[in-house]
Amino acid sequence: MSETETAGAPPAQATYYLRAEGITKVYSDGTVALKAADVELHTHEIMGLLGENGAGKTTLTKILSGLLPPTQGRVVSPKGPVRFSSPREALDFGIGMVHQHFALVGPFTAAENIALSHERPFTTIQLARTREQLEALMAESGLHVPLDVPVEKLAVGEQQRVEILKVLSRDVDLLILDEPTSVLTPLEVDELFDLLRKLKEQGTSIILITHKLKEVQSITNRIVVLRHGEMVGDVRTEDATTERLAQLMVGQAVEGEAVAVELKDEELPTRVQRGKVDRAGESVLHVEHLTAKGNTGEIAVNDLTFDVYGGEIFGIAGVEGNGQTELVESLTGLRVPISGTATIRGTNILGVSPRQIYRLGVAHIPEDRWELGLVLPFTLAENAILGVHQWEEFKGPLSFLRWGKINRHVRELMDRFEIRAAGPSAPAKSLSGGNQQKLIVGRELAKDPAIIVASQPTRGLDIGSAKYIRDLLEEMRDKGRAILLVSADLDEVLARADRIAIMYEGKFMKVCAPSELNREQIGLLMGGVTDEEAS
Amino acid sequence: MSESKRSIESRLLRGAHRTLTGLSPAVESLLAAVVGLLIGAILMYIWGFNPWKAYIALFKGAYGGSYEIASSLARATPLILTALTFSICLRSGMFNIGAEGQLFMGATASILVAYMALPAPLGQIVGLILAAIAGAAWSLVPAFLKLTRGVSEVISTIMFNWIARWLVLYLAIFILGDPNRAEKTLSIPLAARFPVMVRGTDLSYTIFVSVAFALLIYFVLWHTTVGYEVRAAGLNPTAARYGGIRNKRTMFLSFILGGIAAGLAGATITMGQPPTYAIYGGAAMPQLTNVGFDGMAVAMVGRNHPIGIIIAAVFFGGLNAGGRVMQFYGSNPVPLELVRVVMGAIVLAMSIPELIRIFPSVKKQGQELVGLFRRLTRKPVKEEQA
Repeated sequence: MSETETAGAPPAQATYYLRAEGITKVYSDGTVALKAADVELHTHEIMGLLGENGAGKTTLTKILSGLLPPTQGRVVSPKGPVRFSSPREALDFGIGMVHQHFALVGPFTAAENIALSHERPFTTIQLARTREQLEALMAESGLHVPLDVPVEKLAVGEQQRVEILKVLSRDVDLLILDEPTSVLTPLEVDELFDLLRKLKEQGTSIILITHKLKEVQSITNRIVVLRHGEMVGDVRTEDATTERLAQLMVGQAVEGEAVAVELKDEELPTRVQRGKVDRAGESVLHVEHLTAKGNTGEIAVNDLTFDVYGGEIFGIAGVEGNGQTELVESLTGLRVPISGTATIRGTNILGVSPRQIYRLGVAHIPEDRWELGLVLPFTLAENAILGVHQWEEFKGPLSFLRWGKINRHVRELMDRFEIRAAGPSAPAKSLSGGNQQKLIVGRELAKDPAIIVASQPTRGLDIGSAKYIRDLLEEMRDKGRAILLVSADLDEVLARADRIAIMYEGKFMKVCAPSELNREQIGLLMGGVTDEEAS
Repeated sequence: MSESKRSIESRLLRGAHRTLTGLSPAVESLLAAVVGLLIGAILMYIWGFNPWKAYIALFKGAYGGSYEIASSLARATPLILTALTFSICLRSGMFNIGAEGQLFMGATASILVAYMALPAPLGQIVGLILAAIAGAAWSLVPAFLKLTRGVSEVISTIMFNWIARWLVLYLAIFILGDPNRAEKTLSIPLAARFPVMVRGTDLSYTIFVSVAFALLIYFVLWHTTVGYEVRAAGLNPTAARYGGIRNKRTMFLSFILGGIAAGLAGATITMGQPPTYAIYGGAAMPQLTNVGFDGMAVAMVGRNHPIGIIIAAVFFGGLNAGGRVMQFYGSNPVPLELVRVVMGAIVLAMSIPELIRIFPSVKKQGQELVGLFRRLTRKPVKEEQA
């Protein structure tokens, strides 16, 4: 806590609305998401909560809104300590949260959705009364949504306003918004911010979770910065420079800070010193003017052109949700981009099925191992052949599966990649996260690929497994394979990549060797501030 | 809020969940059977019957002797196949409610053998093939609609059941009718019938068709790449796509296999059930009606596994055969209505473990249907406000 910066002590002491004292959260798998965080919230204030992925922003707000109990520490209101065992209790108290993923019933209208959220067990839904309340509330707050259209027909920005209205209709004093701007167009962002300012004037306390530096500076009064679960800054917005915020957010790899950033950074020096890329290999993946849309129809990948060469790890850093997922999906046959070209050693891979792409020597370590990488109810063996089940060595006459051979192959994988499991017929869901990921990595590397597309390959893993997987990727690099490493973990990309690209809103802000940038510059680039703007 | 109470509740629930999910499917089903029998017993006790005696009657009626066992197996024969129809499609993530209609089409197609004078093994084979083709063809239209236009297969297969029913009735009366006897179609010629295995019962060699097909499906699903793809696509379509599996192809394939199973079920009835070897009974068509729907319950009780389905179908056939005996068992005649309630309780209890397992897909289907219903019933005026 010694490094916490406390420039923004509020003027009058007793005016806080809610105070989180020494909140620590340890998840059941041992992850420490939050370490002794102290946050004070005030009415008439918008507080920005800034931090990288996994910094603990969401955990903190989940504790405040009753979704999670803290492991240690307490939440105090001026009337005494409060404790919520469900979001409903938090709502009754006056705390409401708008999540990144909306909780709306698509075919229902806004009025129906909101009436539904007011429902108590064994009571009827009072649609007419809710409507009246909503109309009054809309007039008062200036927040307007069409009440009688099925919400699935509304634009994303409107759906978000329905969510906000839903929370406001419960008479909240504290409104928490989780990355509210990530799905909005610039115009919708302006509208949202106008609304938030108005609500602030009316006395609502607002927490805005974000990673966009410009946004947080334009609207908040106070900014709290979290890094690796620790509160590293609590500053008044007018006192904060963009550089300082970026520095707080990504941390510095200098002096006394090293302790706070933990084991990850011990890998840093050697790799960064390695410096210049010796581009020995030839271009394996060539991408030109690639543009792809996201799930909600926005441009997620915006006119990207780049090469990945054999014998290098090309790292894409950036905060999640800036088009990395769409880029990877476009390159692996899971998404059809709207324009551009991508080739692997001259063969087109856009709009081609995953099966054909794998034949060209592509291995894909997907970012979501539960949704994409594994069929959880399947056994280890069944998962170990996903995508390679058509291989001749596993197939007998009449496309019979040769389980004997497959099981032998799986045992080899288990030995080679240190997958700890009861055996080939253990269900994949019985494995720990690290072993599940090793299974995926093992399966993909066993393809002996020309290029490995690794998306968040170490997310959520313990330090040992993460290091192991990073080492494997380097080993493949040293064998001359091309590796595209997409990761929200900046330390990982800095430590392991030979070249890095920093992605922001579908574009590369900069492509260079990791040693050419310091952390502050990277933080700025990740927050959407270009080189010129920063200098 | 009462915090302590909540935590005790949740702790109890979590404990129960952990205990129950640790069980093997077989133990789960057995436990469910015990619960079902217990509920049935309580119901009979409340209405003043002796549950013990009633269950003895049930057991004796089902498996008490060679005649009873043969009757139970005869009833199980088409059920195995219609249960497979539902299970294969569910394994690929689809709800095929159309076994009923596909069975009707299969039964009708097999009657065509009556127009051919074929010697012994050929007649049976041609009959089965015709039935399989007809069943598969009938399942293709809903499959095609689903894959090209996104039509909910639940709705289309149910609609196709009715189309099949009335189409078959028309064919039975006007095209395939027996010129000498108005109430039935032409009969399968003697040479093309499956002989009766146990004299005096309606158990014929068609049971081997059912069991063989169930084993075939087991091998396809668990020992071939095709079945692997079907199961992967059913359990996690996203991961399947990532694994290079063409989900539409697996859905299509599972529908065809399901249609074949239901078609064969129809043939086992026309070609292997004495005495008429024909479709009879006018609009009621008693031998064909509900076999497809009962198959869904068998699939649930049999945990959607081909081997489980064989066992479940024999159990189901036993319930049907034994249920009749409960009604006229000596000193303790349970009325038909109560027998049906007891059967219902047993089947329901035994379906629950599997229903819980497949709940996510059931929920997804339900949401899709609710969404569809909302879209259909919403007044168009409101569109203008959007």
